[in-house]
Amino acid sequence: MVSSHTLAENAAKPIRAAGGFFAMALDVFVLMFRPPFAWREFLQQSWFVARVSILPTLMLTIPYTVLLTFTFNILLTEFGAADFSGTGAALGTVRQIGPIVTVLVVAGAGATAMCADLGARTIREELDALRVMGVNPIQALVVPRVLAATLVSLALSASVILVGLAGAYFFTVYIQNVSPGAFASGLTLIIGATDVTIALLKAALFGLSAGLIACYKGITVRGGPAGVGNAVNETVVFTFMALFAINVVATAVAVKVTM
Amino acid sequence: MTVSRPHSQFPWLKTRVRPWVDGWNRVGRQTKFYGRTLGSIHYAFTNYRVELIRLIAQMGLGAGALIIIGGTVAIVGFLTVTTGALVAVQGYTDFSEIGVEALTGFASAFFNVRLIAPATTAVALSATIGAGATAQLGAMRINEEIDALEVMGIRSVAYLATTRVVAGLLVVIPLYCIGVLAAFWAARFGTTVLYGQSTGVYDHYFRTFLNPTDLIWSFLQCVVLAVVIMLVHTYYGFTARGGPAGVGEAVGRAVRMSLIIAAFVLVMMSLAIYGQSGNFNLAG
Repeated sequence: MVSSHTLAENAAKPIRAAGGFFAMALDVFVLMFRPPFAWREFLQQSWFVARVSILPTLMLTIPYTVLLTFTFNILLTEFGAADFSGTGAALGTVRQIGPIVTVLVVAGAGATAMCADLGARTIREELDALRVMGVNPIQALVVPRVLAATLVSLALSASVILVGLAGAYFFTVYIQNVSPGAFASGLTLIIGATDVTIALLKAALFGLSAGLIACYKGITVRGGPAGVGNAVNETVVFTFMALFAINVVATAVAVKVTM
Repeated sequence: MTVSRPHSQFPWLKTRVRPWVDGWNRVGRQTKFYGRTLGSIHYAFTNYRVELIRLIAQMGLGAGALIIIGGTVAIVGFLTVTTGALVAVQGYTDFSEIGVEALTGFASAFFNVRLIAPATTAVALSATIGAGATAQLGAMRINEEIDALEVMGIRSVAYLATTRVVAGLLVVIPLYCIGVLAAFWAARFGTTVLYGQSTGVYDHYFRTFLNPTDLIWSFLQCVVLAVVIMLVHTYYGFTARGGPAGVGEAVGRAVRMSLIIAAFVLVMMSLAIYGQSGNFNLAG
């Protein structure tokens, strides 16, 4: 009797969590357009997310770009087309590495920090205190965080592309001895403004979803130290899964649109 | 009320130099922890075998809420399926722009093995078993369970950290196989079923360019990455402090640090293994 009851409880848990997540997401979208907007919190959170993400962004973009340029240039040299290494670098940075590194940074750095911070506030019962004072925590804390994650994700995507191209330039020109002019002229052969716009749109989607997941996990934390740790762990896993899936779908849609 | 402090010598110099010295000391402490963790592998194997087997079971299946969505295996499979599908989506369209979409099978055999499988498996490991280990160890540290272990005369590093590193090392072997198979399957499915390329063409180019030596190197990369990731994550869990909030922060910091270190290790190993020439022959 008891065991079947707990089994039903356990089976209902993920469904309830999914429902709670979508309810919170709806709340966020409704409250986003309702004054007062928490400007101060928005700016502080943007700065916070940017601060924790900027170093991982640089440290992840450079190795991945080097790896991609290296692998790609092997191929191009084999074809006898090393002059097109600029094209390969632009293709790789804007279409592949850009979104993937943005996903890694937004999910691995931004979302974890956000969830840890919000989870700590939930554990200290600050959210309950806000509710008692008549302040809606979704409006005061979650909306600015989600918007901050979106904005910073956009900015990060742009810097990933810039840093990636610069890194590819140095690696190709100084280590693999391709002439700089050929590299620069090849850059815009396949990749144009549409691709960059799509990369930025994808980044905004990543930031939005990562922000929503991190905030949901943060405000539903319970159970002391182990609870906060598990919440951050689940945030990482769920944001990675969500963002990888979004990346594939968005890429397929973008390919259809640009063709 | 003003608080009076004793006068310190060279205050300007101290405030400038202190962060560097602290950083330097942290690197030293970290290295010492890694040395101790790796040094007690033999001890852990002989004395804590039961704990080791329990951890392997737990890591393979996942803990807490993760078990509901199928555990670590399902997560790794899912992530590699999405990145494999990316090869089909991007590779097929980019190759068809220059009229060589027949080479998508080659792209799957080349990029999946050399780049995508190790990188994705590393990310998945860090997110699932790595972050899970940090959360567990951090909670133990905050609840003073690690201190209790030491009081009881149990070697805490060997019992908690070494066993987790070894378990991660053993768990990554089947996980990598699942990951690389899932990536191959997703690329083939996307190209042949969704884009309608004939399976014969795809399989021909895939088999021609699938290099078994590359696969073994890629597998070894994954094993090294697993050890590095587990070392970083156990260190951050072991040194967590500052109450419940501190555990969350430790998990975040560990994920950030292990992603960065994994990326660097991956690049260094790739450059060392494949070399300047790439160890690759298109013309055969």
